Order: sequence, then structure tokens, then C-alpha cells
Amino acid sequence: MSDVAPAPLPGFGVGRAMRRVVGRGFPWIAASILLLVLVCALGSPLIAPHAPDAISLRDAMQPPVWQEGGTARFLLGTDNLGRDILSRIIAGARISVTIAAYAIVLSGFIGALLGMAAGYFGGVVDAVISRLIDIQMSVPALPLAMLFAAVLPPGEAMVVIVIVLTYWTWYARIVRGEVLSLRERDYIALAKVAGVSTPMIFLRHLTPNILNIMLVLATLQFGSVIVFEAGLSFLGLGIQPPQVSWGGMLADGRNFIEVAWWLITIPGIAIMAACLASNLLGDWLRDTFDPMRRQI
Amino acid sequence: MTILRRLLAGGLTLAFTTCGYAAEVVVAFGAEPVQVDPTRSSAGVDLYFTNLFYEQLLAVNPDLERVNWLAESWEVDQNGADTVIRVTLRENVRFHNGDILTSEDLRYAYERQSDPISRNAGRFRYIRDLVVLDDRRFEIVFDAPDGAFIPLNLALWAIPRRYFEEVGEAGVQAHPIGTGPWKFVSRKPREELVVERFEDYWNPAAQPAADRLVIKIIPEDTTRVAAFKTGAVDWIDAVPPALIADFETLPGVRVVSLPAPNNLFLNINATDPKHPLYDVRVRQAIAHAIDFDAIIEFILYGQGIRTAQLAPGSLGYDPDLAPYPYDPERARALLTEAGFERGVNVNCYNLTTPREPYIKEMGEAVFAYLTTVGIRCRIVQLEYGAWINLARVNARPMMDGILSTMWGHGLPGDPTDPWSGHLHSTGDGWGPYSYHADPELDRMVEEFRTTLDPATRERLARQLARVKHDRVAGGLPTYRPMITFAWRDTIDYRPWPGAFWRAMRHIGPARAGTSH
Amino acid sequence: MRRYVLNRLWQGAVAVVGALLIVFVAQRLSGDPVALLLPMDATEADFEAMRRALGLDRPLPVQFVVFLRDALTGDFGHSYLWNMPAMDLVLERLPATLELALAGLVFALALAVPLGVLSAVHRGGWIDNAAKLFAMLGQAMPGFWVGLLLIVFVAVQLQWLPAYGRGTVGHLILPAIALGWYPVAAMTRTLRSAMLDIMQSDYVRMERAIGLPERAIVWRFALRNAAVPLVTLIGVYFANMLGGAFVIEVVFAWPGVGRAVVEAVFARDFPVVQAGVILAAVIFVVVNLIVDLTYGLIDPRIRHE
Repeated sequence: MSDVAPAPLPGFGVGRAMRRVVGRGFPWIAASILLLVLVCALGSPLIAPHAPDAISLRDAMQPPVWQEGGTARFLLGTDNLGRDILSRIIAGARISVTIAAYAIVLSGFIGALLGMAAGYFGGVVDAVISRLIDIQMSVPALPLAMLFAAVLPPGEAMVVIVIVLTYWTWYARIVRGEVLSLRERDYIALAKVAGVSTPMIFLRHLTPNILNIMLVLATLQFGSVIVFEAGLSFLGLGIQPPQVSWGGMLADGRNFIEVAWWLITIPGIAIMAACLASNLLGDWLRDTFDPMRRQI
Repeated sequence: MTILRRLLAGGLTLAFTTCGYAAEVVVAFGAEPVQVDPTRSSAGVDLYFTNLFYEQLLAVNPDLERVNWLAESWEVDQNGADTVIRVTLRENVRFHNGDILTSEDLRYAYERQSDPISRNAGRFRYIRDLVVLDDRRFEIVFDAPDGAFIPLNLALWAIPRRYFEEVGEAGVQAHPIGTGPWKFVSRKPREELVVERFEDYWNPAAQPAADRLVIKIIPEDTTRVAAFKTGAVDWIDAVPPALIADFETLPGVRVVSLPAPNNLFLNINATDPKHPLYDVRVRQAIAHAIDFDAIIEFILYGQGIRTAQLAPGSLGYDPDLAPYPYDPERARALLTEAGFERGVNVNCYNLTTPREPYIKEMGEAVFAYLTTVGIRCRIVQLEYGAWINLARVNARPMMDGILSTMWGHGLPGDPTDPWSGHLHSTGDGWGPYSYHADPELDRMVEEFRTTLDPATRERLARQLARVKHDRVAGGLPTYRPMITFAWRDTIDYRPWPGAFWRAMRHIGPARAGTSH
Repeated sequence: MRRYVLNRLWQGAVAVVGALLIVFVAQRLSGDPVALLLPMDATEADFEAMRRALGLDRPLPVQFVVFLRDALTGDFGHSYLWNMPAMDLVLERLPATLELALAGLVFALALAVPLGVLSAVHRGGWIDNAAKLFAMLGQAMPGFWVGLLLIVFVAVQLQWLPAYGRGTVGHLILPAIALGWYPVAAMTRTLRSAMLDIMQSDYVRMERAIGLPERAIVWRFALRNAAVPLVTLIGVYFANMLGGAFVIEVVFAWPGVGRAVVEAVFARDFPVVQAGVILAAVIFVVVNLIVDLTYGLIDPRIRHE
């Protein structure tokens, strides 16, 4: 069913909108946000003003600095245990980026490999892999995640496994389509005739041709993974405390919606910013690499 | 003039509340039991429902006095060789299906509750037999006197033998029948329980005024509060402590905070000689490492009563026994003394349940404090439902570290049953939740349990509390939570102590001048 | 056409079996499926009986056949927490979930259709730009966060709509917005570009030449044709929303399948989790099937394939 109705991926058509906002060129704002997220992720213990899990009950429920009662010690305020929100956002970036990195590399690798095989060999291989894609896509991502949350110990590894299971089909479908058209090109036919081994054809001739598209997909997936992980952790099925995650912060803040708006607003903004930035950058990359392509 | 105004107001309220289904009251609970059979109960939360349908021989009234309930009279007879409790049942107490309560039903309850598959079989360990004398009289014969039996309201639950045998376990779950003030109507798990008033209830003084009661289950604090504020429910359980001040300013809303008959404590597994927690100094370090006063003030918004061992009002409460002071330096010193200058790693189980306000946050704070002094917690989130599920096994659930948990002490409070359950070493019906094994304390618990004389019991309880305190045995008591209910003054409500103050006895549409 | 239908039906069946395979694999992943399926206080005899029933001593393919047979006869295990068949427990909650997903869809369409048409008609105008900005932000805001914000601002502070409960239309609005939030952007973009294509087509130029009023051209002729690509999207998004409803239900305490499954995960009531996931997969497949068949009817190219 997927070949008739490809599910649109996040970021569809957003690029053109943004170009009006930030100009036609490179999306500087988006790139800066992503850079900031990466810097936070890599240097979180150094940058964070406080330890993210250090409680200080006497400082509990401080509002952000700009609101009456806020202090410069806690720029974005504190939660009900007096933990610094800014430090927790920074620490949360680390978890999000780590998970996204593992998930993107693994799902990209598996998806690309299967997609290439399906597109290149065709026939039975293609039929089997295409059916696998269909099957995988017939279980919606969240219920699937809950299934695995019920059988595997919760934590980062479980989250990565679920994300890889859900996202490899993205790569597989698009790479398959790409390779289907590449396969008919003369140089591949020549290579085959010249007796170049199949792994070599994959490595030398196919891989370079799909790298661009992989980069676009990976950039778009980054935002998507961040939202997905946040959702799982929000439900309590993803990252477990005391590890900090943006979704977990939202879940914790939920009980204090009426007394501390910042607890659910700030982590949400972090998620939104990271996702938005990755969508915009992904769109820009797509337009840059292949201005004619509008399908991804 | 005042009388006139009152009459007018009353008339208006009456007119207002009698349109539609006048006497239906909708309430929201945070936590939900699974079990509706009191003889198969494994956790205090089960009482939330069983207490609507079932009753005991004695009960505690809103003034916290123990009064005869299904028992018309009873006496303890220690003149013979054995201790015997003789009970005479009230006349013409009916079950919801019309059957009359007889001694045979209590005999049946005894059989079921003392069956080893019952989690609380240990409560009947000293009973040799329950002998039926006639339809309304029976005697309970003890091998040794049991001090826990009376505080547990004589422990037995009145269940209809004929009905239970007829419909079986599944039938009872699908439609519980007892002598209680509420009749079962329908239940949707995780959504609602609907009950209606039992017209033939034996005790008009404790009969609810509402015709129908709908109990919604809303575990999430925010949604439960929103349900109340938007008028979807008339009464809510467990007002979040952060919002109590706000609730008190709402017009037409009444708020009451009561000490819960539940003591919270950190259960500590001290049974493995190779584990650091086996060392009393490590356990004392735990006791010194946590600032419970700050936890109560800032996390619970003051809604907790700090306890060294027992809460004020309880049997054995000793005002001179002070909690371990918060002293992280001392905690580190104790760890070093025990040979753990580099700290220790411990599994810490953080129980989460809507039943106790902010228990998850409290647990996080406790484990963070411990980590600060070098007792590094590997935190495992443990949902209460999963824990109860584990506890259904008739063996002690596996718990190899520290667990934030609770035990009901009843009102006004008696530690005999809790100490039998989590201080006395496990086995032979003792210590179903115990992670401690100290022969001396076992002897003390047994002596305390088999004493009936009130003055001696008070002395023994205080003695025990001190030793338990010094050795940080059977876990570290923390606080007794306050529980807060709120209701709109369109209903007339008074909290009754049964089922952790959730016995829905005095509840109905408001009448002029009768609101509490 | 007949071949097309048969082909789609066959693919749907394969997908359902595949979903069952995933659940089967997940069961085995846990190490001991018996421990997942039986209550904690099960006796050794119960364990032995369950092991035999699942055929655990036999090779994996045989075990899968046993699993399939049970599934086809409607046996998805027994909720040991609630003492009832697991599938009954989730089926009881299905209407609530369907209701929410439908409402989400209605909300998404109610927003996406006018936005898509207007931004195509006034290409480059303020509506077009506003729609783009909205799409940009919309796709980056997780639905459950939108739900939380709606609870704070609309339900708690303004007290306009209830934040909890099911029954009236008022109860549906906030959860439907939170759920329908995400697809609005993609739907708007799809409709916009389809509209743009059609508005530049010869037909439209001809109709303009005849002198048909612009409004009639846009809303009657163009929209009807541009709706074709949207129809497929609707199916996909409806199916996705059923999955997405799992989180939104938790946010709004909506008594649906998702909330039951999440609670079952926490209570370690695996049969309920498994029944919920299988149900979600079956509905997903069926909805996609219906969409594909409808699409086949609308689009003549497929009909004659």
C-alpha cells in the first residue's frame, strides 16, 4: 500500500516558507540552533551552571529570571525539587542527541543496505524486502514502542531499538527507488560486464550516489527522533530518571501546570526548536542537492 | 430573619439539587484497587472499594472511637486455658441479596482469610479455630492471645457464604455482595465504579443520603483537579498539596486535610550479610543523609507529619524519641567507619502511585540526598500496580535495596500488624514484606503481639520502637502524610475513617443547615 | 480492477500476519513468554500447561503457527489484572479511540482545506505566508505538548472547555486539536500544490474564458479535483492518528485503547499490551486498504492498470 500512498515526511514544503523568513540562502538560524544543541550535548557537564540532578529543596519552584521572584542563579527557573531548568535542558540535549545519533546511524545503515539490495537485485529479493517494509509500516510506531517497552528493560537501548525499527523503512523505501533508477545507468551495466564484484558495485557506484539523499533524510530524521523520544519519555516508557530527558521533564512538570508554567513550557520549546531547526536544514539540503526533487 | 433566610436558602438548594437525578453524587479517586473481594486483598488500596460493600465486626467512627459494628457484643475470655473471643452478631443484618448474616458466614470468612493463598493469612496465625455456637453466636479460640486482632477490628470480613460458593471467585469479582451501605451496580476498570444505596441497610445512622454514587478513577493530578474545577465531579480525593492554598480560595468549595492512617517508610533490605545495607552504620548513614523536614516543607507543602517511628496518637508513640537529625557529615563519617569511604552502590526502588501525594518526587529527593553522601542510588521506577502484582505471590517480593513504601497503621494507630509484616523476619506467615532478620527483634515482636493488656502493650511498643530506631530495623520511618479532600457545598459530606478516610458513608445532596 | 482489489487484499493479509509476527518475536525477545502471559502467582502447573499450550518445546515456526491459530480464533490471552479476555478489554475502549481519531481528522480537515485553497488562490499573499508559518511551527510541536498547553491556557486559565472526560462535543475539542495538530501542515501543503496545478490547467483557463465566476471555479471544480491526492493522505493520517491517539489519550485521561495499553505496560499486564498493539495494527491495515480501494475508484489510471 505504501507505493500508492507514501506517507509524507516532516518538512514537506516547509523550506520555501522559511526562505521568505530567513532569505534564500543558507538557513543560518536553523543551523545555529542545531549547532547550539550539539554544543550542549557534547559539552553539557562543562556548560551547565549546575549539576542537572542536584536537588536544592530550598530553591524549589523559582520562576525564570525575567519573572518577578526569579533570580540570576537560575536563569530558566527551577523545578519542584529545586533543580536548575537550564542545566536540565542542557543535559537533556545530550540524551536526545546521543539517542538520535545511534538511531540515525543504525536505521540509516540498515535501511540503506536493504533498500540498495531491493533496488539492485529486484525480483524475489525486492519482493521480500518490500513486503518487510509493508509489514513494518502496518504497525504504527507508538503501539510498537509500547510493545517493546513491555518486554525490554526501559532505557536508552530500548528507545534506540524502537526508533530503528520504525525508521529503517524511511531509508529503505527511498534508497530502493533511487537505486532502481541508477541500476539502469550505463556505468553500472559496464561495471557488471567488466566483472566488478557486487559489494564493489554497492560501495563504489551506488553508495556515492545515495549519500546526498541519505544526508537529507538523516537531517530530517533528527527532528523526528527528538519528538518521538520525547513522547516515549513523557509516557514514562523511554528514558528513566534520574537521567534527564526533555519528555521526562514535561511529564514531571505536568503535575504543576497550574503553579509553574515554565516547567512544561521550556522543555517543549527546546523540543520544538530542535525539531524545527532540523526540518529547515533538511529542506535546505534537499533543495540544494536536488532542486527538482520534491518527493522526500 | 435568619431562620427565614435559611429556609429560603435551603429551599433553593433543594429545588436546585432535586432536578434531574437529584441524589447522585460523582466523586473522583486518584488510585484504584483491583480486588473487590476483602478476603483476597493484598494492599491497603483494595479497601477503597471493599469498604463500600463489606463490613467488619467492629469499626472506628468519625470520632476515632472503636465501636461495635456487625457485632452486637463481644468479650475476651482469658479465664480458661485458652484465650477466647466470644461474639454475638446483630440481629437481622442483611446482605445485598437479602440473605441474613449468620455465624456461618464469619466461619467462611475465617476459612478464606486464613487460607495460605491469602496474603494476610499471617493475621490468623494465633487462631486455632472459629467455632459456631448458633446462628448469631460464635467464638474465636486462640493458641495465644493476639494483640493485633482487636486493632484490626477483629480482622474478619462479613461475606455471604452461600453467594460466594454459588458464583465462585470470578462471580464475586464481577458482582461483589456484602452487608455494606452501598450496592454494586457496575464497574469499568480504570474508568468508574457505580454503586447505589442499600435500602435495607441495618444501620440508618451510617447510611449515605445519596441514592447513587459514581466513583471516577482519575490518576493524573492535573486532570483530576480540572474535573473538579469544571464541575464534572462534586468531590475529589488527593488534592495536590501544591494546590491546597488555591482550593481554599475557591468559592463554594470545602477543603479538609486529615492525617492519613498510613505511615511512609523506606524499606531497606538488611538480610544479605554481603550487602552494605546489612551494616547498621550504613543504615544509620541513610537516616542521617536525608533532610525530611525540608522534604515535608518544600515538596509536600507542609502536608506531612515527621515521625521517628510512630505518629502522634498511635499506641506506642513516644514524644521523647526524636528522628535522626539531618547531618550529611555524620552520614559520611558513618559510611567511612563502616569501611565504605568511597561510597556504596544501591538499588533504589521509587514507588509511584496517585495514592500518596508526590511520593514519586519525594522518592527522587530521598535518593538524590543519599547519592550526595555517597550512597549512590541506581533508581528503578516501580509502579504501585506492578508492586501489588508482585506481592500477590505468596512469598516476599524481591527487593534488593531501598524501597519507598508505606503501611497502614489504622486510626488512631497501632503498630502490631505493620511490625508483624515488615519488621519480624519473613517466613511462617510472618513478615510478608519484611527485609530484616534480627532474632532479638523477632522475640520482641512476638511478645508484643501476644500481649493483650493495654498498659503492657504501650510499654512494649515503646521499647520496641527504640530498638527498631537504633538499629534502623524494618526500614526507616519517614512521615505520615496528610490527605486532602475537596467538595462543592452542593453536597453534604463528612469524612469517615474507614478505607483511609475514603469510606463514603456521610455523603449526599446538601440540605439546609446540615453541611459540615 | 478485480486484480487490483485482490492484490491489495492479499497485501493487507500479509501485513496483518506480519504484525502478528512482530508481536510473536517481541514475546520471545523477553526470554520467557510464559512469564509474560501468566500472573505472578501462577502455580508451576499453570506454567506447565501454558508451556504446552504455546508449544514451547516445539520449533519456532510451529510455535508461530500455534500463535496464529490462537489469534485467528480470537484468543489473545487473558488480562490477569482485570480477570477478563485481553481483547475484550481493549475492544471495549475502541469506540473512544475511534471517536477521538475521527474528531482529530475533522479538525485537521476543517483547518487544512480552507488554508490550502486560500493559500493557493492568494499565492504569496498574507494567508499563504501565514499558512506556511503555521505549518512550520505545527510540524515541530509535538501533539502531547500542544495538549498540555491547551489544558493550561484554554481549560485551566480561561475555563472555556473541559480538560477531562468524555461525553459531549465540548469534551472532544481539546484532545481533537492536540491530535489533529500535526497533519494540518502536510494536508495544507498537499492541497495547495494540487490546487496550484489545477488552477493553471487548460480547463480552468477555459472556464475562466467562458466567464464562470472565480469562486465557483475554485470551490467547485478545482477543489474537487485537488481533493484526490488529499484522500490518500486522509487515510494515512487517520491510521497514524489512531497510533498518535495513544499519547493524547494519556494527556487528556481519555478512556481509549492507548491509555489502557500504557497502564498495562506499567502494571506488567502483557496480554493487554499485546491485544492493543494487534488491534492497532489491524485497524491500520484495514484503513489503508479502504483508502487504496477508494483511490482505485477515483483514479482511473489505477482502475485500468
